[in-house]
Amino acid sequence: MPFGRPCGLRLRSKLERCIERILLIATAIAAVAIISILLLLAYFCLPLFTSGELGEVFSRRWQPFAGSYGILPMCAGSFAISLLALFLAFPGAVAICFFVHSLAPAPAAGLLKTLVHFMTGIPTVIYGFVSVFLLVPLMRDWLSAGTGFTLLTAAITLSLLILPTIVLVFQARLERIDPTLTLASAALGFTPIEQVRHVLIPASAQGLLVAAILGFGRAIGDTLISLMLAGNAAQFPVSLFVSIRTLTAHIALVLATDSQSMAYRSVFAAGLVLFLLMGMINLLIQRIGRADNEKTYEKDR
Amino acid sequence: MEKVVTNPAIVVEELCVEFSGKTVLENVSLTILPAELHVIIGPSGSGKSTLLRAINRLNEFFPNCRTSGLVRIRLDGHLVDIYARDAPPLPELRRRVAMVFQTPAVLPFSIEKNMTMPLKVTLGLRGGELRERMEWALRQVGLWDEVEARLLDEATTLSGGQQQRLCLARALALGPQVLLVDEPTASLDFRATETIEQLLVDLKDRYTIIAVSHSLSQARRLADRLWVLREGRVMQQMNRRQLQDAALFQEIIDNIF
Amino acid sequence: MKKIADRCLVGFAWLSAGMVTLAAVMLVGFLLRRGLASIDGSLFFGETHWLDAVSGRAPVFEGIWPALMGTLYLVLVSSFVSIPVGIASGVYLAEYASKRVRASLGCAVDLLAGTPSIVMGLFGFALILLLRRTLFPQAGTSLALAALCIALLVLPYVIRTTQTALQAIPVHLRILGPVCGLSGLQAIVHILLPVASRGILSGVILAMGRAAEDTAVILLTGVVAQAGMPRGLWERFEALPFRIYYLAAEHQTRRQLDQGFATSLVLLLLTSTLFLTAFMLQRRFEKRWKKW
Ligand SMILES: Nc1ncnc2c1ncn2[C@@H]1O[C@H](COP(=O)(O)OP(=O)(O)OP(=O)(O)O)[C@@H](O)[C@H]1O
Ligand SMILES: [Mg+2]
Repeated sequence: MPFGRPCGLRLRSKLERCIERILLIATAIAAVAIISILLLLAYFCLPLFTSGELGEVFSRRWQPFAGSYGILPMCAGSFAISLLALFLAFPGAVAICFFVHSLAPAPAAGLLKTLVHFMTGIPTVIYGFVSVFLLVPLMRDWLSAGTGFTLLTAAITLSLLILPTIVLVFQARLERIDPTLTLASAALGFTPIEQVRHVLIPASAQGLLVAAILGFGRAIGDTLISLMLAGNAAQFPVSLFVSIRTLTAHIALVLATDSQSMAYRSVFAAGLVLFLLMGMINLLIQRIGRADNEKTYEKDR
Repeated sequence: MEKVVTNPAIVVEELCVEFSGKTVLENVSLTILPAELHVIIGPSGSGKSTLLRAINRLNEFFPNCRTSGLVRIRLDGHLVDIYARDAPPLPELRRRVAMVFQTPAVLPFSIEKNMTMPLKVTLGLRGGELRERMEWALRQVGLWDEVEARLLDEATTLSGGQQQRLCLARALALGPQVLLVDEPTASLDFRATETIEQLLVDLKDRYTIIAVSHSLSQARRLADRLWVLREGRVMQQMNRRQLQDAALFQEIIDNIF
Repeated sequence: MKKIADRCLVGFAWLSAGMVTLAAVMLVGFLLRRGLASIDGSLFFGETHWLDAVSGRAPVFEGIWPALMGTLYLVLVSSFVSIPVGIASGVYLAEYASKRVRASLGCAVDLLAGTPSIVMGLFGFALILLLRRTLFPQAGTSLALAALCIALLVLPYVIRTTQTALQAIPVHLRILGPVCGLSGLQAIVHILLPVASRGILSGVILAMGRAAEDTAVILLTGVVAQAGMPRGLWERFEALPFRIYYLAAEHQTRRQLDQGFATSLVLLLLTSTLFLTAFMLQRRFEKRWKKW
C-alpha cells in the first residue's frame, strides 16, 4: 500500500455509508406513507368494484335510511364551494400581491405582509367558530337565507382561509421574476400601476395559474369550514343560499355517527376521490412548473 | 546548471481541466521540489487558482468540471497518484494538502470555533492540546495578539486581511505537508505582508509551498522557482538565478503579459 | 380611458387590502370582545384548584386544562416522529440524493403535502379497521394514532424547509468542509447543519403550529369531548381545536359559549406565536445570505 491510512478512516467511511442508508430510509418513509394511503383507501373501496355497488355510490341521492348512498351531491358541493371561494378570494389576493409589491407605501406593505403571515397562522377551526357567531347571524337576518348555514356563508369564510395561501404563492413568484424587469420598466418611465398592468401581469401569468390551482386545492381539502358552516345537507348546490355538504365534511359526518357498512364504503370512495383529485392537482402544478423552468432556461442561453 | 531532479515532492503531468467543455488548463506539467518556494504568476483568468485546486482535487467540487492528466504527490515517502482509484481518501488528502483561497473564506462561526472545529473533528484534539495548537497557528500568522481578547467574536467581524490570515492559520494548524496559497497577501497592509512573506520563507523547509501571486516584485523576492501561466498553459519556468537578473525577468514578463 | 382603468385597478388594490385587514381585525376583535373577559383560572381549571389540576391529583371537569395538555402531548409526540424523520429526509434530498432520486422522492413529498388532512385522518381510521380485522382485534383510535397521522401531515414542511435551507448555502461556504479536510458527513454535521439551523428551526416550528391547529385528522383518530387528562399513548384524549369545534355546535349555556371564545383566543395565541416566530426566523435566514 503506497499510503499509510489511519484505520480510523476506513471505519469512518463505513459509518458514513451506514448513515447515508439510514437517511435514505427516512426519506423513503414519505414515499411509503403516500403509497400506503393510496393502497389502504383502494383496499377499502375494493368491495364497491367487486359487488357492483359502484354505480350506487356514484349516484345522485344520499338517503342512507332509504338505501341510497350517492356521493355525487358531495362532489358537486366540494366543487361549488371551492370555485366560489376561489372566485371571491383570487382577485383580492392578486390585488394584494401587486399592492404589496409595487403600489403600497413601504410601511403599509410591510404591515400587510405580516398580516397575511399572521392569517396563515389562524387555525381553521377559529375561522369557522367566529363565522358561526358573526357571519351566520348576518346571513340569516340580512339576506334571510334560512338558517344562515349556506353555501355562500361557508364560501366567504373559506375565501378568507385560502387568500393567504394564494398571496404567499404568488408573492414568491413575483419576487422571482422581479429584479431585471422592474428596473427595465422603471427605466421606460412606467408608473407603478402601468408596470403592474403591462409588465408584471404578463410576466407572471403562469404564477397566477399556479396560485389559483393551489388555492383551489387548499379549498377542496378543507374540512372544518364546510363542516361548521355549510349546513351539511346532502343536496346539489342549486343556489347560493342552499345548505350543502362537501366530500370532506361527508367523511367526518359519517364516521362520527356509527352507521352501516355501505355508508362506510361511500366514505372511502369520497376519500379516494379527494386523494386522486389532489394527486392530479399536484401533477398539473409540476407540469406547469417544468414548462416554466424550461422557459427560463432558454432565456438564460 | 539546472539542479537534477531526484526527489520531487509533486509531479504534475499533462494536466488538463475543463469547466463545462471550456478548457481552462491545457497540458500543464510541473515538478515541485521540496524545501523550495514555488510561485505561480499569470494574468487574471489564466487558470492559476484552478491549477492549485487540481492539486488537492477541489475542482471536483464544481459539478461540470473534467480533469485529466496525472498529479502525483509524495506522501509518506511515496509518490501517490491522487486521481487514481486507490488514492487516499479525499478528506485525508485535503488535510495533507491544505489550501488557502484568494478571497478569505471563514466559517460563519466564532474565531475560536473556526480554528478548533476542524482540529477537533479531523484530528480528535481536545482540551489543552487543542488550545496550544490554535495559539501556535495564530502566532505563526501574527494574528494572536489581535484576536486573543475576542476569540468568541464572529469570524466575519474580522477585517479582510485578518480573515485571510485566519484562514492561513486554520490550514497550518491541521499540519499539512503541502501548502497551497492563493494570493495570500492580496488584502494585507505592508507590515502584515512582510509577516506573511517571512512566514512563507520560514515554512518552506518544513512544507512544500506553492503560492500564487499577482505582484511581480513579491514573486521575485520570494520565489525559488517561478512559473508563468497564460491561458491555461505554462509559458515560462524560471529559477532563482534567472530571477536575479532584473533585465531578463522584465523582458520575459513583457513578452507574456 | 386607460387612466380610468388604471385608477380602478389601484382603487381595487386598496380596497382588497382594506377588506382583508378589516376581516382580520374583525375576527380578532370579535374574539377579544367576547372571549377576553373569560380568560381566567376557571377557564383552565374549572372548579378544581390549579395545584391539584397541574399535579394531576384532582380531575378537571369544566376547564380546558385537559384539552391544552392533550394538544401539547399531541404536538410533542408527533414532533418526536416528524422532526428527526423530516430533517433526515431533508438532508438526504439536499446532500446525497442523485438528481433522479431527488425528483421522484420529492414528488412523493409533494403528494404527501397535498393530502387533505381529512384524508390523512381517514387513513388512520382505515389503519385501525385493518388492524382490527387482522392482528389486533382490540385496536382502537388513540393519541398515538392521531400523533402518527399528524406527523405524516406535517412531515413535508420539515423536509422541504430543511432541504431548501441546506441548498441555499452558497458554494464558497460549502467548499470549506473539504478544505478543512472534513469528510462529507462531518461537513454536514459541523458546517452545513449549523449554518442552516435557523431555516430548519423555522420549518420545525411551522410543523408544530400545524400540528397544534389541525382538527380534521384528530376528529377521526381518537379525539373525544370528555377524556380528562391524557392518560397514555393508547388512550383517547382531548384537544383544543376539537373543543372549539365541539363548543360551536354543542354549547348549552352562555358560559360555555364564552368559554369557546376564550379557548379560541388561547389557541390563536399559541399558533400565531409559533407561526410568526417561524416567519421571522425564515426572514432572518434569507437576509443573512443576501449579504454575501
Ligand atoms: N467553477 C467554475 N466554473 C466555470 N468556469 C470556471 C470555474 N472556475 C474557474 N472558471 C474559469 O476558469 C478560468 C480560470 O479561472 P481561475 O480562477 O483559475 O483564474 P486565475 O488565474 O486564478 O485568475 P485570478 O488571477 O483572477 O484569480 C476562468 O476563465 C474562469 O472563468
Ligand atoms: Mg485566482
